[in-house]
Amino acid sequence: MDEATNKPSASNWLTWFDARRRDVGYWAFALNRITALGLTFYLFLHLGVLSQLSQGPQAYDHFIAMMKQPLFTAGEVLVVSAGFIHGLNGIRIALNSLGVANAFQKALFIALMIVAILVSFIFAVRMFTA
Amino acid sequence: MSNDMTASRPKETVIIWFLKIITGLLVIFLLFIHFVVNHYLAPSGLLTYTDVVQYYRNPVVPIMEGIFLAVVVSHSLIGLRGIILDLHPSKNLMRSVDWLLGLIGVAAVFYGLWLLRTIAAKG
Repeated sequence: MDEATNKPSASNWLTWFDARRRDVGYWAFALNRITALGLTFYLFLHLGVLSQLSQGPQAYDHFIAMMKQPLFTAGEVLVVSAGFIHGLNGIRIALNSLGVANAFQKALFIALMIVAILVSFIFAVRMFTA
Repeated sequence: MSNDMTASRPKETVIIWFLKIITGLLVIFLLFIHFVVNHYLAPSGLLTYTDVVQYYRNPVVPIMEGIFLAVVVSHSLIGLRGIILDLHPSKNLMRSVDWLLGLIGVAAVFYGLWLLRTIAAKG
């Protein structure tokens, strides 16, 4: 991949999704960005739906009952997983930005993502069996 | 790399970059508290209206949630701004984006504080 097509630019957006011949850094960047967008969407959705609380008991309890459907639980698992990916990778970014642990940032990223996968799995099992 | 050099590109300043890191670390800390108290300390996990109202009678809860809201909204909007900057917007467009994001942030925090007050008032 030459330098020009590797630069983020709105005009060649299709190449953003070309995962061929990418290194660890590409995955760290892409995962961080995708989870960022997902979590931002969830944040504003979360704030919006909680307005049900101002509508009284029926509205909120009805809403909670609806959220217990498996489809919404699956969505919540995605949110939790995105949170762990973004948060753990974020700790690495904070450390690296301050010049800490830069020599093994790739190994650190992979280790943190293994933790994210394991914790997401535990949460998924607990949330679906709760 | 082709680039018209007629105008300098808008960039993320050091202050905003640093704020993103600080708010990010704060989000991790506050999200942990938000999760533990909402799902373990609160009676039966805040899954009924009555539980929520009861839980929000403790003034520490709306204060903590209000601070968390301001921090997480700041972090998400600074991050969104960074993503938009990566698309190389013009300076004029970026001025509008900054206004819009600022407005969204202020509106979200005021809405959240209103909601926190509404719930706390019912207790």
